Amino acid sequence: MVQDLKTDVLVIGAGPAGSMTAKWAAKAGARVLMIEKRQEIGSPVRCGEGMSKDWLNEVGIAPSTRWINVEVEGARIFSPSEKVLEINERHAGNEVGYVVERDAFDKQLAIDAGNAGAEILLKTAATGVIKEGGKVVGVRAKQFGEPFEIRAPVTIGADGFESQVGRWAGIPTNLALRDMDSCLQYRMTNVDCDVRYCDFYLGKVAPGGYVWIFPKADGLANVGIGVQLSQIKGMAEARQYLDAWIAKHPAYSKGKKIDVVGGGVSISPPLKQTVTDGLMLVGDAARMIDPLTGGGIANGCIAGKICGDVAARAAAAGTPSKEFFQQYEKGWRVRLEEKLYRNWLAKEKLCSLSDETFDKVVDALQGVKLEKLTVHNILKAVRDKYPEITKEFEAFI
Amino acid sequence: MPNKKSLHIESSGQLCVYCGACVGVCPLNCIYLDETRITFDERICTRCEICVKACPVGAIEIG
Repeated sequence: MVQDLKTDVLVIGAGPAGSMTAKWAAKAGARVLMIEKRQEIGSPVRCGEGMSKDWLNEVGIAPSTRWINVEVEGARIFSPSEKVLEINERHAGNEVGYVVERDAFDKQLAIDAGNAGAEILLKTAATGVIKEGGKVVGVRAKQFGEPFEIRAPVTIGADGFESQVGRWAGIPTNLALRDMDSCLQYRMTNVDCDVRYCDFYLGKVAPGGYVWIFPKADGLANVGIGVQLSQIKGMAEARQYLDAWIAKHPAYSKGKKIDVVGGGVSISPPLKQTVTDGLMLVGDAARMIDPLTGGGIANGCIAGKICGDVAARAAAAGTPSKEFFQQYEKGWRVRLEEKLYRNWLAKEKLCSLSDETFDKVVDALQGVKLEKLTVHNILKAVRDKYPEITKEFEAFI
Repeated sequence: MPNKKSLHIESSGQLCVYCGACVGVCPLNCIYLDETRITFDERICTRCEICVKACPVGAIEIG
């Protein structure tokens, strides 16, 4: 028999957002328990492993060679006819940064949480929330298959893209078909990748998404794809599109696959609600993934820090109410929402461009010395060279 | 359940990569991922086929 447990702050899921929440709640003095259904934190990896870096200091993560494979100089965007737009780090606003070893990264964040005082239970899955008087007061769980209960005034759903905690608690997190990408990635060796760049191929090669090449070392890269569900007609299309892309690129078709990773990524506008009485959602579970890039680590960690702090204070004050949790709801929105929304609009526009238009936009930007890559500067360059397509973007500005 | 199409999730590992894409996208929250086993609730599932599209490797079939 597993004994029932009580804690102040219960975190479901030990990914980056969960560990970050657990760490900051523990640092603020709360008794914290983080549960993880897997037997190993960070594994198996379900990530392209590309990550920006300008936010790390803000949340107290020290860069380490234990989880950084490569520090890239920039990103290269390939149009459908493979004209290249190079964005260096300064232009990208530090959007590009590291290619990481996600399992090592996740483990480091869990270590940070543990060292801050959080308890961690592995092989422990939540199976439902416990509600009393309309409030979430903990979860039913299974550890090594044995059922038990964990009670806590504050429960955090950090259970990732496939989040069920929020839905059990009555927070709508369902996604429309257009708001989700189906993703597949191979880690490939013996490829001709360039460790200075993260590469992105856009257009019909990946409807509603892109093909990515994230270099992990000389000759070793994550080669992956995301395709929008609303543009998928049959089965296994993510794999078919990716295999077709690789077949057409000799630098990669000669490679050897050493790993396959699948996953779902939300590309939705921000949720209307991420808290309810007794419960807060954070990270991918709260649909905080950047809808343009598909990146979720930075936003999950940034929101996690805010969430952990609010969770600890709610537990200490005995006020784990939806009203108190507005401090988190407002806090993460002030920090992240505007960009999430802006990038969602940009993604919607990108998805609507024909391959021809896309080629023209990238062509117009080639050879133009852009001081800074802003929407205004892009539009000006496009207007100078292809005035006829500027109309397509007017509504967008 | 009369006239319901059959839904099959291949989760023995021949196709399935246990990524959870189907779980996250199910509008009725009736698919469960338990490390290396995926199950769904036959009674709740309406065969909307969204999971079929979401699966990156084609491990879900509806016939």
